[in-house]
Amino acid sequence: MFTHIWKKEIRGELYTWKSMLWLVIASLLFSFTSYLLLTNQELSLLDQTELLWLLGKIIIGVALLIVTIDASSIVNVEFEKETAESLFLSPISLKDLILGKLFASLTLWAAIFVISIPYIIVTSAGSHLAWAFVGYVALLGTLGVVGLVFLIFGLSLLYRSSKNTITTALIILLAFATPALFTSTLKNDIVSQTFSVVNPIDNIFNSLDNVLVDYKTSLLENWQFLLPLIIFCAVAFLFLFVSAKRFTKQGIIKND
Amino acid sequence: MKNIFFLFALLISAGFVANAHAAAPPLTMQILSSSSLSGTAGDFVTVQGQIANTGSQPQSDVTTYLSLMDNQNKLPVDLEDWSAEKGLYIGTIDAHQTLPLNWKIHFVKAGTYSLIIIAEASGSDLPQVSSITQFNVSPKRNLNPGQVLPVALGTPIVLIFIIFLLAYRRRVEE
Repeated sequence: MFTHIWKKEIRGELYTWKSMLWLVIASLLFSFTSYLLLTNQELSLLDQTELLWLLGKIIIGVALLIVTIDASSIVNVEFEKETAESLFLSPISLKDLILGKLFASLTLWAAIFVISIPYIIVTSAGSHLAWAFVGYVALLGTLGVVGLVFLIFGLSLLYRSSKNTITTALIILLAFATPALFTSTLKNDIVSQTFSVVNPIDNIFNSLDNVLVDYKTSLLENWQFLLPLIIFCAVAFLFLFVSAKRFTKQGIIKND
Repeated sequence: MKNIFFLFALLISAGFVANAHAAAPPLTMQILSSSSLSGTAGDFVTVQGQIANTGSQPQSDVTTYLSLMDNQNKLPVDLEDWSAEKGLYIGTIDAHQTLPLNWKIHFVKAGTYSLIIIAEASGSDLPQVSSITQFNVSPKRNLNPGQVLPVALGTPIVLIFIIFLLAYRRRVEE
């Protein structure tokens, strides 16, 4: 049944030119970045692996931002337009609704990823890292997006308001992203190091660094970054599960 | 008088003990690779060397690490990205034992650099340093406008085409 929700969302999100304009803007951003990296005299002095790492961070960063904004409203819109009640009167369970919306958000990520592939291949030319780069962007991006979407859906079921969810979700994304952009010299104390280990964005960027800069391309060599990401997804899923339980208990019409 | 001699002897022996504590450990480091390595930014080179305990006693807690200096800016360089292994804990080196040292160095930025390997052993205040290896790193330009232009221009154009195609299909369906 979730496929019905998924198709409905995709139809709404990717069918009109207005709803797909962000994808063109994202592709223009990738075009501008890769063109600048490969044609600017100063930027072209960067080591190619550094250049790939920078592009990888931009691709995943853009994807996380777009998916965060989309996921913050995709569930809440049902409460705000008061369509949730009629939706649950049909034979659609909360699980179907969540799964359908999750797949819709993942489709947005898939669209960004597919668009990024030509840029990844052209910038990796001659480095023998193209397929490792494509594979790790897919793996790390998917883990990051899935965890973030679980977290945002959990918030949506708690708040039932797009405005509150989007504000909280963007602050969480910012809280994860800002320390990840610090240089390693600023992460010498135990607090920063501990946060770096659990921070999903830090783990994504560090794993990309490990693959592209240090040439450690096997999954075994990136396990220390992949495991915290998997744990992040599991914790976010648990939060969503608790929120869904609470939502089911309270009912669609909240009495508070 | 006897007591004064005894005191002198005690002071001299104490001085020897203190000097022995401050003396460098009987470790020697030899660089086997070329004293000058050249390449382009992005290249990898291997600095090969060996560490030997020339003393008659084992040396414990031996640690070796790298120090890299930018000759143009006269500043030490943060080794991040230059070497995955910034330090190497060896542990104990037996008397007259020789161990190999191999460091894979990644040329990150163009310039001239000086690299030394430093060894420290427990109970010694003075480290041992290797001879200097000079790096001459030439810049690498990744200028590639021929390949990037079709992708940078083509991808947004293809996307806009797909969007208009979908919008047209939708209008026909309606």
